[in-house]
Amino acid sequence: MFSYILKRILAAVATLLIIMAVTFFLMNAIPGNPFLSEKASPHAIELAFKKYGLDKPLIVQFKNYVVNYLRGDLGVSLKMQEGTSVKDIIFNQGKFTRSIKLGLSALALAILVGIPLGCIAAYHRGSWLDGFLRVMTTVGVAVPTFVLATLLLATFAVKLPLLPVKSGELTDFRSYIMPVISLSFYYTCYLAKLTRTSMLDAINQDYIRTARAKGVKTSKLVLKHALRNSLIPVITYLGPVMAGIITGSFVVESTFQIPGLGKYFVQSVMNRDYTIIMATTVILSALVIFMNLVVDIAYKIVDPRITLTSKEG
Amino acid sequence: MKYNFAKLSPFQVDPDKIEETFGLTADDFQAATDTEKESVVYKHKSVSYWRDAARRFKANTVSMVALFVFILCLLFAFLGPRLIPYNYADQYRSSQKLASMEYSEEEQLVIAMSKNCDAFYATTLKSGSLTAIKKGDYTINYGGKTYAFTLKKAIEKSVLALDADAEEPLFVVKMKDLNEDGTWEKSTPVELSDAPAEGAQPLKLVNSVFPHVFGTDSSGRDLMARTMYGAQVSIIIGIAAALIVLVIGSIYGAISGLAGGAVDFVMMRIVELIYSIPEVLIVLLLQVVLTDPLRAWFDAHKTGIGAILGDLGPGIVSIFITFALLYWVTMARIVRGQVLQLKEQEYVNAAVALGASKARIIRRHLLPNAVGALVITTCLQIPSAIFLESFLSFLGLGVSAPMASLGSLCSDALATIEIFPDRLIYPAVILTIIVLSLNLIGDGLRDALDPRLKK
Amino acid sequence: MAENDRLIEVKDLQVSFFTPAGEVKAVDGISYSLGYNEVMGVVGESGSGKSVEAYSIIGLLQNPGRVVGGSITFEGEDLLAYTPEQMRQFRGNKVSMIFQNPMTCLNPVYTIGNQLMEALTCHDSSISAQDARKRAIEMLELVGINNAEKRIDQYPHEFSGGMRQRAMIAMALICKPKLLIADEPTTALDVTIQAQILELMKKLQQEEQTSIIFITHNLGVVAEICDRVSVMYAGKIVEQGKVNDIFYNPLHPYTKGLLASMPRLDSDGHERLIPIEGTPIDLLNPPKGCNFAPRCKDCRKICLRQKPPFADYGDGHTSACWLHFMEDDGEEASGK
Repeated sequence: MFSYILKRILAAVATLLIIMAVTFFLMNAIPGNPFLSEKASPHAIELAFKKYGLDKPLIVQFKNYVVNYLRGDLGVSLKMQEGTSVKDIIFNQGKFTRSIKLGLSALALAILVGIPLGCIAAYHRGSWLDGFLRVMTTVGVAVPTFVLATLLLATFAVKLPLLPVKSGELTDFRSYIMPVISLSFYYTCYLAKLTRTSMLDAINQDYIRTARAKGVKTSKLVLKHALRNSLIPVITYLGPVMAGIITGSFVVESTFQIPGLGKYFVQSVMNRDYTIIMATTVILSALVIFMNLVVDIAYKIVDPRITLTSKEG
Repeated sequence: MKYNFAKLSPFQVDPDKIEETFGLTADDFQAATDTEKESVVYKHKSVSYWRDAARRFKANTVSMVALFVFILCLLFAFLGPRLIPYNYADQYRSSQKLASMEYSEEEQLVIAMSKNCDAFYATTLKSGSLTAIKKGDYTINYGGKTYAFTLKKAIEKSVLALDADAEEPLFVVKMKDLNEDGTWEKSTPVELSDAPAEGAQPLKLVNSVFPHVFGTDSSGRDLMARTMYGAQVSIIIGIAAALIVLVIGSIYGAISGLAGGAVDFVMMRIVELIYSIPEVLIVLLLQVVLTDPLRAWFDAHKTGIGAILGDLGPGIVSIFITFALLYWVTMARIVRGQVLQLKEQEYVNAAVALGASKARIIRRHLLPNAVGALVITTCLQIPSAIFLESFLSFLGLGVSAPMASLGSLCSDALATIEIFPDRLIYPAVILTIIVLSLNLIGDGLRDALDPRLKK
Repeated sequence: MAENDRLIEVKDLQVSFFTPAGEVKAVDGISYSLGYNEVMGVVGESGSGKSVEAYSIIGLLQNPGRVVGGSITFEGEDLLAYTPEQMRQFRGNKVSMIFQNPMTCLNPVYTIGNQLMEALTCHDSSISAQDARKRAIEMLELVGINNAEKRIDQYPHEFSGGMRQRAMIAMALICKPKLLIADEPTTALDVTIQAQILELMKKLQQEEQTSIIFITHNLGVVAEICDRVSVMYAGKIVEQGKVNDIFYNPLHPYTKGLLASMPRLDSDGHERLIPIEGTPIDLLNPPKGCNFAPRCKDCRKICLRQKPPFADYGDGHTSACWLHFMEDDGEEASGK
């Protein structure tokens, strides 16, 4: 187990390094630079280049990034908050916390609502409730996050002003409601669908027949024997869910005007603020990679057949 | 006849009366011929895989309805623009910011006026800010008659009207002379000539004002035309991206699976790497990176493929490139899995033994067998491509005005959501319906093509 | 067999599956009875309805399958009249079942011990965890699993195929049922393991005095363990009798065919195995006459027209074939 996790962490570091390389290459390929503006003279730009080391060969710049990152130094912002340490911007201005709170709330909602709904649908297979849930989840996975977010905004904040239009810094509970629902709805529906399918699949397995032959009660049959097995494919999907929630946060943070990491990343790309692009990419990627690792370990807990020590999953 | 005793009989027959009970004759104990034996065997009609799949798909009501709805969406997107008089890019300055089915003041005047004449041409209702009919020679075909006339002076902010029964059938009314009840203060008759002049332009009159069904945007563009066009763009992006994924993923997966060994190992590590990258971060960067070089390239290549791609614009082409770079991994995994599974099959070994080349094995044996999985995955890839495009457009990175996609329409609508929620609802609903119907068609295909997967 | 000697009696049982394509009569009017401490083999090829028949006894038929006629009486009680809760109490307690594929029949995510103890606790909630565990270890030892104390906490994937089947048997017998239904319990195992499992079942049957319905398509297994045999073909019992009668004096052409297709140790080594030609009938569209007629080498005209009645050869040996009613039927009658 330990050696497996170690191996996975090494692989994660390698992946992050490659992501850094790709990001570095791409952001340098964006036309223009952070210091371009109407009043900036060529001389001032040259000075700025020198100041931030952008005049050095690309390979040296990249090496500097890697070395500094390994030391925990994320550099300073080049444009958006020029001169401020990127670490401060991301961690001390609440951006990271807000995005994490939002993302984890959405993930929790998707899991805590989606999986039980899927079980209920599978348990009452063929009933009106199952029918209703099937329609809801099928439609749910066809509604893009931004559509739902804007519709919620139009309905609950504009038409019936029950909730704040601007969620802002997510200080009170009410400001969480719409962003979290918009962010998690797709995944709630997807998880419900997936759980239902895999639950029905599990119910048709031979071991369920064995348990029935033993005289196990139907409720226990579902909750003990079918559920744990049917969670295996569901857990596999949680990695992509995390990545998807980060993607969705770009939209949700701009729609509800939440100053989080997702929104900041989009802005930094537009502004060519290289250090911020690099830092947000690395942090968000690390988050997804970390989530995948957590998922794989959770997988091992649910399914004793997976032995993490042997071959890399 | 002599019988054995049959005490236990489900027929409850007295064994001594077997003969009478069943009405047996000596002939009954003659050996039956093979033909007689075969005649009682019920034979299944053998059905080909594809026909069977088609039968299963047709039996699936939900998928059939979804298919029907998707065809309606296709008609809306591709046939619709030909049926309405508005264009996605034209700006009708007199009709800005209209809600759904609402008429602008000028349109209302013209509609009222149209009751008092047969047909008209209203310059203010045309695209552009200062539309006019230029001076020159014109002909009008209306009601089987041809009217020829010469305009000595351009007319603007006016209605050119035709009243076939009047003494002077063709006349011009200035907008400012129109009353609310559709009457007019004064009109200027147009002098008709007997024969059309050389090179006269035909002018088409209409007799009603076509409503802006979905309303118009702030620049006076008709939103139904834009939604139709946006749906077109979204569907084209979805299908093209899915095909790109199909081609790249199949080739990559097939090579990896067939080659095996070290090649397979390396190729699969690459797949895993791409898999673990949160692709949207890279996609956003890519979009920004690619836009300018693509635009420059389109400007330099105005013929052939460059012209086609140039029409699509850099936003869409960079989405294609993104799919080609990042989104084929799932398909590659599926194809590799299929290939590995099929590689074990006897008939592939037979082909190898007969000296068939690897390319031939891929083409003739593996792909046809994997086609079911490919069709399903491709079909489900279309909605995910549409999702990605709309997501990028929503963030302002995909297509930009005057071009439209369903995502960019939603994004544009966001600014005015408090006053004109319709502007969001129409494209959002169409987008949802397209994705929903494609998802359901994909599910139906999966059930039909791969009965083993049926849950 | 006297009335009170019968553990279970099945009369004219009919089970149908209602598929979209139509009604499939998987079991079409079968009758038999089984005494205490008796082992009956049910032999037939795949799709002959032998498993379906067993599932209807233990109440495991799943949609779209339904019992549509006949009766099943267990110790004088009508099983078909049981409520679902009564049926659940009955399952695993009075009758238990082991299945063909031990690889998939144990839940992969729970330990063997957990699954064994569950069989106990779901019929007796008062039993303490320690007692249940003790009993489970005893059972594992009984079925010949070494180091049961340790093994009980392992997962199914840590067991070999033969061991899993042993665990299945332990689980089935833990409540001391009166009847064990074994649905091809050795089919998925290696030949050497097969022999061990059969040996174990024989031993346990004698020790525990359990009756067994042993479903198989392997006649060799039947000869090994069974007292009586029913031969099924296309949803009907075509012949039943004592194991020796069936083996040494088969009456029905299908039984004869089965025996001829099986290698024998007592042959001179030059005999050829004779397969039964043709494929089983389509149960969606069963023929009017004898179900076996289209494949029968000795088919008569009447066979295609009319289902045959049973002929009784005494000592419980019956067979349903028109040939038995034929005048001067030479070989057919020679058994008696």
